[in-house]
Amino acid sequence: MAAIIYSLCALTSLACFVFLWRTWRLGGHRLLFWSALCFALLTVNNVVLVVDKVMLPDADLKLWRLAVGFAAVMLLVVGLVWEED
Amino acid sequence: MEQILTGGIVAGSFVAGLFFFRFWRTTRDGFFLYFAGSFWIEGINRLALGLLPEASELSPVFYGLRVVAYGLIIVAIWQKNRPRA
Repeated sequence: MAAIIYSLCALTSLACFVFLWRTWRLGGHRLLFWSALCFALLTVNNVVLVVDKVMLPDADLKLWRLAVGFAAVMLLVVGLVWEED
Repeated sequence: MEQILTGGIVAGSFVAGLFFFRFWRTTRDGFFLYFAGSFWIEGINRLALGLLPEASELSPVFYGLRVVAYGLIIVAIWQKNRPRA
């Protein structure tokens, strides 16, 4: 069940990335660009979570997962501060 | 190191949520409120995962919370893309 949920979370983040990136490319606010980067990394975070917990249960990728999650959130916060009007 | 990264993700998620909440207050666009809620829930989820030593992403409480957080993002995107009545 957890694998399905996290796979769906990965798909949701991917859809979010595509939606935000497309809107930014069509002339949207630059904040959309930072948000798109955040969701790209959150997609990686969820994929690595599935790989870590389900596909390779003996491997411990927790540090990598956390590092990617941290980078995702920090990119978003930097964008939110940087692009403030 | 893992705890530092977890703490960073928690703080970053709450800050990002606050920014989205402020955008909602300025624009009254529900899209931002859904995003704020999503990041706050994800922050609480990561906080609990960091505080509870035996916590695992595989337990239903944690992936259930992530479903709610990502569900809010899906609702936000759906509302933004639905045709205006």
